[in-house]
Amino acid sequence: MKSHHVDWHIWSGIAILTLLLFRLMWGFVGSSTARWTSFIRGPRAVLDFLRGRWVGIGHTPLGGLSVVAMFLLMCTQVGLGVFNEDEDGLYAGPLANFLSPDTTEKIHELHELNFKLLLGLIVLHVGAIIYYRVRGKPLTMPMISGRGATNPAAPQMRPGKWWVALICLGIAFAISRWVVAGAPPFGS
Amino acid sequence: MRIHLVAAAAALSMAAAGVAFAALPKNKARAIMQERHEGMEKIGDTNKLLRREIASSSPFMPTIQSGAATIATLSKRASGWFPAGTGPDVGKTGAKPEIWQKPADFAAKMRDFQAAAQLFNAAAKAGDASAIKGRYTAMVRTCSACHDSYRNEMKH
Repeated sequence: MKSHHVDWHIWSGIAILTLLLFRLMWGFVGSSTARWTSFIRGPRAVLDFLRGRWVGIGHTPLGGLSVVAMFLLMCTQVGLGVFNEDEDGLYAGPLANFLSPDTTEKIHELHELNFKLLLGLIVLHVGAIIYYRVRGKPLTMPMISGRGATNPAAPQMRPGKWWVALICLGIAFAISRWVVAGAPPFGS
Repeated sequence: MRIHLVAAAAALSMAAAGVAFAALPKNKARAIMQERHEGMEKIGDTNKLLRREIASSSPFMPTIQSGAATIATLSKRASGWFPAGTGPDVGKTGAKPEIWQKPADFAAKMRDFQAAAQLFNAAAKAGDASAIKGRYTAMVRTCSACHDSYRNEMKH
């Protein structure tokens, strides 16, 4: 790592862990368009979308694949991060003590490698948002508010419940705190 | 003769302070950089094992004691690892040029580390768990204090 703000690095990783845990649960109990089952589609749906024969709301079948790729790469990055340590052994993820230094050294390399993959995906992701924006379809505000122009032929979105979101966030926060504490019964 | 003695004494004291008179020959510089790299790597690897034991609910004392002794010994040698002419302009190193731009501050940080390593080693020998933990934390802080200013990431 090049900067000296390693503590910031670790805490932002924990924040991302919390968000990922939330998103995982929200994909089962959240709004209809947030659910994994609504946008993880087979190759046939992707082909239909590419041929312009897709009618729907939320992530497109192709966008859904990108969501899954992003989610998996982020989980990989955070999963490696909690076991990572620097080469001086001065900074370590909360679970690094469970592994041998030889193993964390490999994890260190994988954490860096996966970051490069993640950067590529981020460029693609932001590129797609800009592409749609230029073509007159804003995506960011509809993602946040749940409101946007839709095809009248498409089904309506069922919004999620705020208290369900709160419960998911509470659980995600609790699991993250548990990891920060050093997991199992708090440490090795 | 007298002048020679004075000059020799001056040379010795400057060498002891880690100040090179003339430019260090390249092969000598490289050898010191190699020793420095291996020494620092050994300190880092030892620290990884120490951190695991100290964080453990049942720390294994022999590992802590041998680790503390290793770092205390290497910390003394570290005084000779940073003569002028062993910076990034000479070869691949994680040592920043600032080391030789602010020699007084660097030397003070080096002394802090050496003192903390000796204290930690003494605590490890005595075997008192809470003193070990406190002095380990204090020592690690001296590592970070110096690395934050004077160490670059080094790929190898």
